[in-house]
Amino acid sequence: MNRIFEKLLLCFAWASGIVLVGSIAYIVGYLIFRGFETLNLTLIFGDTKPVDALLLKRQVFEGLFPAIIGTFLLILLSVGWSVPVGLGSGIYLAEYAGKKVKRTLNLFFDILSGIPSIVVGLFGFSVALFLHKHYSENIYPCLLISSLSLAVLVLPYIVRTTQVSLENLSPEMRLTAPALGATKLQNIFYVLIPKSLSGIVSGVILAIGRCAEDTAVIMLTGVVATAGVPRSIFSNYEALPFYIYYISAQYSDPQELLRGYGAAIILLTLCVILLFCAFVIKKQLAYHVLYRI
Amino acid sequence: MIRIYEKLIEKLLLFSAAVSASVTILIFGFLVILGLPIIKGGHFFHLLTEPWSPYDGMYGIYPMVIGTLSIAFLGVLFGFPLSLGCASLISVLGPKPVRRFLKKVVQLMTGIPTVIYGFVGIFLLVPFIRELFQEGSGMCVLSASLMLAVLVSPTMILFFIDSFDQVPKSYLDAVDSIGGSRIQKFLYVILPCAWKGVLTGLILGLGRALGDTLIVLMIAGNTVQVPGSVMDSARSLTSQIALVMAADYESPEFKSIFTCGIVLYLFTTIVVIGVRTLAMTRRRSRP
Amino acid sequence: MKVRTLLVGLAVVYCTLVFGWTVQASDLGLFEGEKGTLKIAGGTAHIPVMKEAAKRIITFNPDIQISIAGGGSGLGIKQVGEGLVDIGNSGRKPNDEEISRYGLQVFKWAVDGVGIAVNPKNPVRSLSKAQVKDIFAGKITSWKQIGGSDKKINVYTRDEASGTRAVFWKKALSKGEISSKAYFVVSNGGMKSAIAQDPNSIGYVSVGYIDNTVAAVSIDGVAPTLENVKEGKYKVARGLYSNTKGEPTGLAKKLIKYLLTPDGQDIVADKGFVPVK
Repeated sequence: MNRIFEKLLLCFAWASGIVLVGSIAYIVGYLIFRGFETLNLTLIFGDTKPVDALLLKRQVFEGLFPAIIGTFLLILLSVGWSVPVGLGSGIYLAEYAGKKVKRTLNLFFDILSGIPSIVVGLFGFSVALFLHKHYSENIYPCLLISSLSLAVLVLPYIVRTTQVSLENLSPEMRLTAPALGATKLQNIFYVLIPKSLSGIVSGVILAIGRCAEDTAVIMLTGVVATAGVPRSIFSNYEALPFYIYYISAQYSDPQELLRGYGAAIILLTLCVILLFCAFVIKKQLAYHVLYRI
Repeated sequence: MIRIYEKLIEKLLLFSAAVSASVTILIFGFLVILGLPIIKGGHFFHLLTEPWSPYDGMYGIYPMVIGTLSIAFLGVLFGFPLSLGCASLISVLGPKPVRRFLKKVVQLMTGIPTVIYGFVGIFLLVPFIRELFQEGSGMCVLSASLMLAVLVSPTMILFFIDSFDQVPKSYLDAVDSIGGSRIQKFLYVILPCAWKGVLTGLILGLGRALGDTLIVLMIAGNTVQVPGSVMDSARSLTSQIALVMAADYESPEFKSIFTCGIVLYLFTTIVVIGVRTLAMTRRRSRP
Repeated sequence: MKVRTLLVGLAVVYCTLVFGWTVQASDLGLFEGEKGTLKIAGGTAHIPVMKEAAKRIITFNPDIQISIAGGGSGLGIKQVGEGLVDIGNSGRKPNDEEISRYGLQVFKWAVDGVGIAVNPKNPVRSLSKAQVKDIFAGKITSWKQIGGSDKKINVYTRDEASGTRAVFWKKALSKGEISSKAYFVVSNGGMKSAIAQDPNSIGYVSVGYIDNTVAAVSIDGVAPTLENVKEGKYKVARGLYSNTKGEPTGLAKKLIKYLLTPDGQDIVADKGFVPVK
């Protein structure tokens, strides 16, 4: 009786493995199969000459160029906001904070990491509206607001990867430099951080991936269907994930739908490459950096 | 001089930690302040049980609360056995090449954007469900929760593997020495030792499912009703925010989405506290 | 001799250039020397026209940037009223309260209808007004009851911010109920693609969006075509409006002016709407 049960269980484990791999292969395969033929320069630049588009001489219509640039700027800005603050917080948590402070802050960051991205987006939108009404007429949902909201979204990842990479260093490594007369700060910046750099960098790369893929935050904070390449951080902008969402619901002709497939392939490739980089840099990834007491 | 410099940097670090932690409270504060007119009127709990019918002046979010819960729980229900099976295959049962391959696949899955699941869901899963059951449009609780199961599986699997790996090696050696098979090792030693970790992974998966927007928005159909069966279409709290947001922001409709935000915030906070409590007891009881 | 030929040649070239330029730029000339950004949001029926106009304007003068978002008429009116965008589009006329509260200026540049659409595989092409009301209220639930196959009807509707919904609800459903089982889509484009994919669907969409991927349904024998809208036979009609807060200025003024030029009205007709001039 037990034997049969064990055998059944083994079968089940194999079956679930096959189902998982099968479904993911089907999803990715379907995308590539449907969208492969669109992968060329026209997909990105439309009828505009690539050189003109790259030099921002002509706006690209019917191409992914503005969306790609939008996503790129979004990543750059969000990471720019969140990395300094995140690193600082992570270092403080690992090296300075007392036990009680650490416990409280850890709880806060865990909660922050759990907040659904649409709620973060709602927060960003409300802040923009608040500033518009009470501070300046010129502030509305835009690239700046989106990037700040995304920075909030990825902040806990950066804080926690920094903190955990620092905490995982061996005690011997911690003691060597101070024994030679280095101050605490010198020890942190010249010994501990360089030693835990791989962990920190992999955390940042994961954060980049999150910025690239998130749709819920930006759809509330300033992404639009058509905007061209943004001229300033106060402009509206296009982004790849929103483009995919938009096309899926309201493509007007098969050609447009195909561009949606193309965009999906590009975004997928981007995210997988980022993840792969994070792996190469650091084998044990940041899944279990959260929820440590 | 150096001392002052050191102090200054320390203060700066403290400041950044304080700023980033305060965002957590700031978000909640904003939700509460903007939802205040509703909360003040004593309508908060009322709204949780009232239907949504703007033309009749009713802005309850009861259907969305039920929609969120049913889609998320169903998603985890589908995802959990799948994840447990895969995790057991990866950490114990499978031959080495299979383990390594499967683990790589799972890790790569964590990088797949949700909007892509939604996109493929619309063009692949929805027509499939429609043809299979010959009922409705295919945009339903079932479609959304199936896709969610795929979305949350990697989170659960990686957490399960992690907790399986923490079972002391001496226990496993003991099973090997009395000639136990791998499946027996998994079933009678690893699983009983690691059940808390499994539970933690499960709750984490639930948190992820509760907070997802894109899959539910794109393939659950967004009907405002309490779903009566898995073939019914439903709207989640997250989709409600996305949809009404696209409306206007002076109206009571708009104010009510802050109630949605507060409910979602509370749901996920409960999940986080649950996970942390489990992790704490797990650490204490670890041999 | 040679010099003369050269001069004549130059004159010809010059004339063609100048003449060609003026012909090409007749209406776009409005945007000569302009720069800056223009934000547009709101009605989703407007988007194809707005996109085409933006494309022409930006191709003519790359210093101008135009961003176009959807969201529905309700959103368009509120956002322009709050000063978040320069032009708020709506598929219904803003009501008096909205106009007085925000000091809106309303510009109508096209006439459009709201037609019922079904999947092309569905044989039903004509319904009475009573049947339409019953279908959308959820009282008629099977296509069999109205001459189709034995399948459940999937009703699709739009959210409350939609002008298309407001017009359809008022003029086709006589403010009747819309079933709580209805599926929600967020735009005219979304409605069209949802209906094109679901064989048992019914929904309502801007006439400008109706093409061969969906089948239009007549109400009481009148088909939702451009001609019937133009002649006033098809009653579920509406204007397409662009609204500004106060007198329009700068680029917003010029864009609205451009939409009312022969060029602009050509775009309107080209995208399947009825020009107003």
